Amino acid sequence: MDELAVLVCDDSLMARKQLIRAFPEGWPISLRQASNGLECLKTLRAEPADLLFLDLTMPEMDGYQVLEALHRLNIDVPTIVVSGDVQDAALDRVMALGALDFLHKPVDPEELCASLRRHGFYLKPQASVLTPRLDGGPVSLRDAFRELTNVAMGRAGALLGRVLGVFVELPVPNVNMLEAGELHMALADARNGQQVTAICQGYIGEGIAGEALLLFHDSDLNDITGLLGREVSSDEERLEVLLDLASILIGACLKGLFEQWSGQLAIGHPVLLGQGEAIEELIRDSVRWKRTLAVEISYSLEGLRTHFDLLLLFTEDSLPRLAEKISYLMGDEA
Amino acid sequence: MKDVNLDEFHWLLEIVQSMDVGIIVIDRDYRVEVWNGFIEHHSGHKPSEVTGQSLFALFPEIDRDWFVRKVESVALLGIPAFTIWEQRPYLLRFNGYQPLTGREPYMYQNTTFLPLTDSHGVVAHIALIIYDVTRVAVNSQQLRQANGELQRLSRTDRLTGLLNRGYWEECLAIEFSRFQRYQHPVTLIIFDIDHFKRINDTHGHQAGDAVIRQVAEITRQQVRGTDVCGRYGGEEFVVLLPDTPADGALLLAERLRRSVEQCVVEHGGVEIRFTISLGVAALTLDCGSHAALIEQADSALYRSKEGGRNRCTLHDNSLPKH
Repeated sequence: MDELAVLVCDDSLMARKQLIRAFPEGWPISLRQASNGLECLKTLRAEPADLLFLDLTMPEMDGYQVLEALHRLNIDVPTIVVSGDVQDAALDRVMALGALDFLHKPVDPEELCASLRRHGFYLKPQASVLTPRLDGGPVSLRDAFRELTNVAMGRAGALLGRVLGVFVELPVPNVNMLEAGELHMALADARNGQQVTAICQGYIGEGIAGEALLLFHDSDLNDITGLLGREVSSDEERLEVLLDLASILIGACLKGLFEQWSGQLAIGHPVLLGQGEAIEELIRDSVRWKRTLAVEISYSLEGLRTHFDLLLLFTEDSLPRLAEKISYLMGDEA
Repeated sequence: MKDVNLDEFHWLLEIVQSMDVGIIVIDRDYRVEVWNGFIEHHSGHKPSEVTGQSLFALFPEIDRDWFVRKVESVALLGIPAFTIWEQRPYLLRFNGYQPLTGREPYMYQNTTFLPLTDSHGVVAHIALIIYDVTRVAVNSQQLRQANGELQRLSRTDRLTGLLNRGYWEECLAIEFSRFQRYQHPVTLIIFDIDHFKRINDTHGHQAGDAVIRQVAEITRQQVRGTDVCGRYGGEEFVVLLPDTPADGALLLAERLRRSVEQCVVEHGGVEIRFTISLGVAALTLDCGSHAALIEQADSALYRSKEGGRNRCTLHDNSLPKH
């Protein structure tokens, strides 16, 4: 049997490693990789592939755009989408764009194997064949964490979409080591000169702790309450809507994150910040750390201007433990 | 279960039973399964008396529609929800129980709605965790009140209750930048009490204060809610009129002048009569700063004085600047 030409396209090295590690044993393939949509198209035009694994949320050109381009360019390649976006609408859309199958991240080896069997790409292990594994060097903490966040925010986005009845557009999360001074800038940036209300929730689990900050632009509030179909007349009711959305977005995202390393966590009561005051001013004086891990996610609602900015800020003390969890997740490779 | 585990189980129960946090477990039909000592003490009902009863029957103060929506979403999504006292003072109305140090009629509460999954991973119960945050709430409200009072004090003039000069100028600066953007008409009236020194010298400073207070009172009565009145100096007053063109401001200025002319202040058995002189200026795009507008109104006031006092003058924008 000839080798199957397989192309794996994902912007995260960690995600590619996780997927390739889930490949079945004794699978005769040749393996290529692409780290964004443009690269994927370029590779396919240079040399066709028999099977494409495609991520959806990528910079440069996302998975939806790749599927459209393949169709437009008449490049015929069976495609299995692998994504953290667990919204039903995402599944419907990629299937309509001609994808063969849709697998949720992190990929379960048995599910992957079943899908490959179903579509005739893998029958049984061949004794003499060694499935190619990836040797892309160690995954950086940042890359790994971005991928974990990607999966977690997909779950939170799906819940949000379900509650609001809209499609939630998932961004590429921003994961950065932040200097204390830069936090101020990041907040001012997210605020974008507008009035915002922020809800803050502390969390801690197995020594990994931090605070989640969700920013709502006050001008978006009417859109949101409209989607919920709720009559909102008083400030208390408006606040309640925000609290409900915050517990969904913050709760689901953190749960999705901690579950990936099977961690338990406790989330504190929400605290309301700002309400007219500039939040970065409120926070400026309280910063005691020097450098820490910050995750920024900006959810948008399709067809509306509304977006939510979620910031997860881990304590400096949590970093070694986080690194430990991630290297455990990556097995020996990290 | 091994004996040692059973021991641990008993400890756990005892801790949950005696901790200073309320716990109620309800099923998906909103019936109480169990609650701990905290709820027992504050409600006066033993858990054995209430098992199987509807939570809404036991606590009629719960807004049913709201509560059901909250619980259903917790069960559907499998994610905890919260309430905080700032937004909803309490879930269960428990009366204040500290006659000595308690100041509030009821207990402020933060609550967590925690989904409990059964062995099949289905959310079959909800735990309501209730924290007594009365002390935090009271402290925070007192702090807010004190800050509000401080802010009020730092903004008002003690004698008249009008805005003081500093804060009034801040308001003017804001109105000025708003004008740059939207060009809604904005006018300024500035006025002072004629021969005020003479009132002071003749009748004493207390009489002078009474006159100033009376002028402030008349001003307050004549202006609209959106107008911004301040005491600018000793016997000098300012009224900022947003969304008002010059002719409207002149009408108000004239009304002020007449009201003051007609009023009498009685002090120590003596009737004091007095008048004011006013200057009016409208903000134009030529005004380089909010201070320039004050200068224009001030020069109109100067002409009222020169023209014999007890009159209004509108600043003429066609005149060369001083």
